[in-house]
Amino acid sequence: MSPVGRRAERLAPYVLVAPAVLIIVLLRLWPLGLGVSFSFTGDGDRNGATVGLGNYAELIGDPLFRTALRNVGWLVVLLPVAVAIPGLLATFIHLRVPGHSFFRSVYFFPAVLSPVIVGAIFNLLLAFDGPLNTVLGGSGAGPVDWLGDPDVAIFTVVGAHIWATSGMALVVFLAGFATLDSALLDAARVDGASLARMIWHVIIPGLSRTIQFVVVTTMIGMLTSMFGLLYVMTSGGPEGSTYLPEYYIWVQQGQMSRPALASAASTVLFLVMLVVGLLQVGLLRRAGRED
Amino acid sequence: MKQRTLWSVTLVAGLVVLAGCGSASDPDAAAGGSKGKLVVWDWKSGDATASSDIKKAKADFAQRHPGVTVEFVAQPFDQYYTLLGAAIQAGKGPDVMLFNGGGQIRDRADSLLPLDEYVRDDRKRLAGWDAFTKDGRTYAAPVTLQGHPIYYNKSLYRKAGLDPEQPATRWDEFVADCRTLTKTTGARCFAQGNKEGIGIQFFLSGLGSGVLSPTEYDDWIAGRRDWSSPAVKRVFSLWKEVNDKGLNNDGANSTAMFNDAFAVFQSNKAAHVIGLMSDTGHWKDFAEFLDADDVGVMKSPVVMAGAMPSLPYDGGIGYAVAKWTKDPEVAADLVRSLTSTGALKSFFADAGAIAADRTVDVSSGGPAVATIVSEIDRGKPALHVALPSRTVELMGRLSQQLLSGSVTVDAAVKQLAASDQAG
Repeated sequence: MSPVGRRAERLAPYVLVAPAVLIIVLLRLWPLGLGVSFSFTGDGDRNGATVGLGNYAELIGDPLFRTALRNVGWLVVLLPVAVAIPGLLATFIHLRVPGHSFFRSVYFFPAVLSPVIVGAIFNLLLAFDGPLNTVLGGSGAGPVDWLGDPDVAIFTVVGAHIWATSGMALVVFLAGFATLDSALLDAARVDGASLARMIWHVIIPGLSRTIQFVVVTTMIGMLTSMFGLLYVMTSGGPEGSTYLPEYYIWVQQGQMSRPALASAASTVLFLVMLVVGLLQVGLLRRAGRED
Repeated sequence: MKQRTLWSVTLVAGLVVLAGCGSASDPDAAAGGSKGKLVVWDWKSGDATASSDIKKAKADFAQRHPGVTVEFVAQPFDQYYTLLGAAIQAGKGPDVMLFNGGGQIRDRADSLLPLDEYVRDDRKRLAGWDAFTKDGRTYAAPVTLQGHPIYYNKSLYRKAGLDPEQPATRWDEFVADCRTLTKTTGARCFAQGNKEGIGIQFFLSGLGSGVLSPTEYDDWIAGRRDWSSPAVKRVFSLWKEVNDKGLNNDGANSTAMFNDAFAVFQSNKAAHVIGLMSDTGHWKDFAEFLDADDVGVMKSPVVMAGAMPSLPYDGGIGYAVAKWTKDPEVAADLVRSLTSTGALKSFFADAGAIAADRTVDVSSGGPAVATIVSEIDRGKPALHVALPSRTVELMGRLSQQLLSGSVTVDAAVKQLAASDQAG
């Protein structure tokens, strides 16, 4: 082979991966670096001036940002609920409760609605003088200020999010059930196992990979796609109790003209996501090794 | 593995080297249209009701600058300042842009061109300049006036046996009237929506002139705000008191001002609402549900002795010119066309806004408009508009905490003072 040909052959792999590398560097790493670098500069009059860790100190001192991070913690705590609900519903459908095929499509239906529409629906239902409180009032219980009580509102929004997104998880669970050996369920039934025991000893071990997958996707969904619901349902309120980091970033950048502070908040969110993401990758890898 | 570590180290090192370089918003952003073309950003030109104003302004401008084309770009309002901020940072901002008065324009004044020398002849004809002024320089010419009159429902007053033409002028009388109104008609005193934290802004400005003395009011507007004064504290304790006494509709913290609170007023469930003067939540909207003659406008009742109630209003929206525009004189001329009497007249007639131009005839608008316009000369800037936007945002959250009882008036006022004086 001629020296030119050899050189071409040596360079070929680099040329071939170049587009991918360029895209990653130009569209991912470069903006990321810029964002991190901006987070060490000031806003307004001090635009462009280096302020060191000033923005981060301000973030830590801002009760609103601390609330946002605490709410991320709440999302992690509520994750098992968000996974268990579609899991249980899928179990009932798999066990062919009466009307199961009807329920299958009904449960999936909210997954096709945009967060804005879901938010508007729940705004109407949960208004202080709305239908749900009328029902509660009629049954003797006092009205609950679903979206106006700072101790309740974040759970209301997460509840609406779970309602809207559990349809997709339900479908994933149903697909998982298709791989479950029905002989095991039949054997358990013959042995007289109760539903709870069947779920605990047969279904959960049999579906462990599916459950892990749903955990990962649900967590990502909760951390990255609550903005629309928050915007429509509470605008971060009442009393700032439903702030999440992305909403905080949006407010600082768009409403308060604080792009550098928003960059710092974005960097913190990025680090949080990095940790969560690495944990999840580890989880998935371990799950893959089990088979 | 080694290679991966190397990569990580390189990346981190790169970030450290970069850290603190550059700036979040481009300091020498230059953009806008090319010479001979002006780009205008707003959230209005897409509306059918605004198109005739735009047409008139365009024709007026074309006559004076035949060689210059003008392109209007309508942005969605709820994203407007996000988009504008991003465009300014990217150096792709427009030449002329619409702004809300108050904090929004003051926060961005460093990207705008002072217009004082260009708009000298319009000073007298237009009202509401203060909202577009920062440190003595004017950054936009007013198009509409925005303010917070207290609207009341005259038919409910009649049903309750109260004189609809003589609403109460003292706070204790006002509260007594409200008791009568609730007893006889079932309507609450105020329609209140504080879900977005907007209710407190309307409350502070709507009733502030009935609490603060004229000197204290003027000092507040001029930036000398004494947050520890009894009158300022009284505004916030009044806010809590009104809710605690059941004068508001239930669930104020979960009722959206736009437009659930206004709906409460329009459906006769509340006798008063602190609304707006222009665009929405105002006389024109209310007249669609209540009879136009039944919509009254009253001044704030006097809460503390010595107060002189006045109509709180500011320049609502106005056109500003970007600092980087190629030909400031032409851009400023476009602003003058956009605020000419002809253009503003159709703003009143078509869009239902109180135009900034005092020479526009409003006799067709009903008694509420007539009252509002008659008060403009004696009116003063609204209290909440004078606050920096971070303080307004904090006030929204604190006001919700005041209603739910999780913060005291003293603690809330202290936090507001700290935020106001932060810089």
